[in-house]
Amino acid sequence: MSKKQVVVVDYGMGNLWSVASAIRFLGAEALITSNTKEISSAKLLILPGVGSFRRAMQVIKQNSIDLAILQSLSQPETKLLGICLGMQLLGSASSEDGDTQGLGLVPNAVRKFTNTADTRLKIPHVGFSEVKHDSNIKLFSGIPSESCFYFVHSYFMELTPTIKGVATCHHGTEFVAAFEQGQVSGTQFHPEKSQSMGLNLLKNFLES
Amino acid sequence: MLSRNFRLQKVGDINWLEKNYGFSNVGFSIDELIVLDVSRNERNRDEFSEVLKTLTNDCFAPIAAGGGINSVADAIKLLRSGADKIVVNSSLHSNGKLISELAQEFGRQCIIASVDCKQIEGKFYIATNNGSNVTDLTLTKFLEQCSDLAIGEICINSIDRDGTGNGFQIELLDCLPELFEIPVIISGGVGNYSHLAEGLKDARVDAVATANLLNFMGDGLASARSQLVNLGIDLPIFDLH
Repeated sequence: MSKKQVVVVDYGMGNLWSVASAIRFLGAEALITSNTKEISSAKLLILPGVGSFRRAMQVIKQNSIDLAILQSLSQPETKLLGICLGMQLLGSASSEDGDTQGLGLVPNAVRKFTNTADTRLKIPHVGFSEVKHDSNIKLFSGIPSESCFYFVHSYFMELTPTIKGVATCHHGTEFVAAFEQGQVSGTQFHPEKSQSMGLNLLKNFLES
Repeated sequence: MLSRNFRLQKVGDINWLEKNYGFSNVGFSIDELIVLDVSRNERNRDEFSEVLKTLTNDCFAPIAAGGGINSVADAIKLLRSGADKIVVNSSLHSNGKLISELAQEFGRQCIIASVDCKQIEGKFYIATNNGSNVTDLTLTKFLEQCSDLAIGEICINSIDRDGTGNGFQIELLDCLPELFEIPVIISGGVGNYSHLAEGLKDARVDAVATANLLNFMGDGLASARSQLVNLGIDLPIFDLH
């Protein structure tokens, strides 16, 4: 059987090298590309990313990567995983540097953690934190609820009652740690940096 | 590669490190790995990048790297060699523009500000250039200015305790302003797990760093971590399968 291929979208932001190396470690092939043909025909697609939401959306639109992602999702067997900023980009909009529209694949908005004298929050939220999920999210198959994953972010995706299949984390407030909505899924944490639990999650994605 | 134990001590080159540490295994005892190029003379960036690549291969934990970062190009080189975050030290004081350039390029969460502190007549002063140049900037003053710096974390290291194994210089934390928003890592002086516990129990501390337990103590890191878990300190448990 030929190796599964994962297309890692390269739009100039984020540590693609470590995402690709985790995928290769799991025995699949990783293709890092910004080529819209390769993106639109992908069966397994990862949208990574670190940095500014606004800048990411600009680059994605300028290079028609948004259209290529939508086209790939028109094939019913295609699965998409957004990681960190990549997950946030799947949401409706972010308040980072003024309001910016996201890809809108889920209706949730993204906003900044706020620090008050009461909460005494550290921003960014950085380090390994517990993620809670109910057992019906395929990405978390075999991963106990309250396992720890590695986060580094100042903005978070708001919880809404409208999307199901959500795993949550707490940093001053409950927020979306991961979600799975049919073909589209995302993790705010970095599975490629979350030791064995993260590798398990990526393996679940490869086998989805 | 150097490590500090009372005096600077060479522990071995990259092959030695791989053989004796196996970072993919050590990875299960730590939350993050910091790799610093502490060369005193001219740095060989290509060589350090290669070392970093070898070290971080199959290590699926967050990795910060630094040592003599003077430009965005220096940072890119490390980020393409397995680093997720960049550690800046001397440049914080000599090249403030670089910090905002790095933040613009990679986001502030990508930048760890590292400060080496020396106690003189009861006050903590910041030293640069591998600790060789003690400035007249106090830690208190620097931390007050920190909210204007585009950094994601700050690592406060005690030169006086570094390598002694006598425990953290907890008084460093008294220099922190009320409501300090940036995550704090304390470093320098760890000799055993109880020192790590002392740091982690302090509400002002978000993370503790040690080189000593990694370099010289056999299974020091793994046993320190399980001792901390036994003490009820909330650490993630990484299993080995």
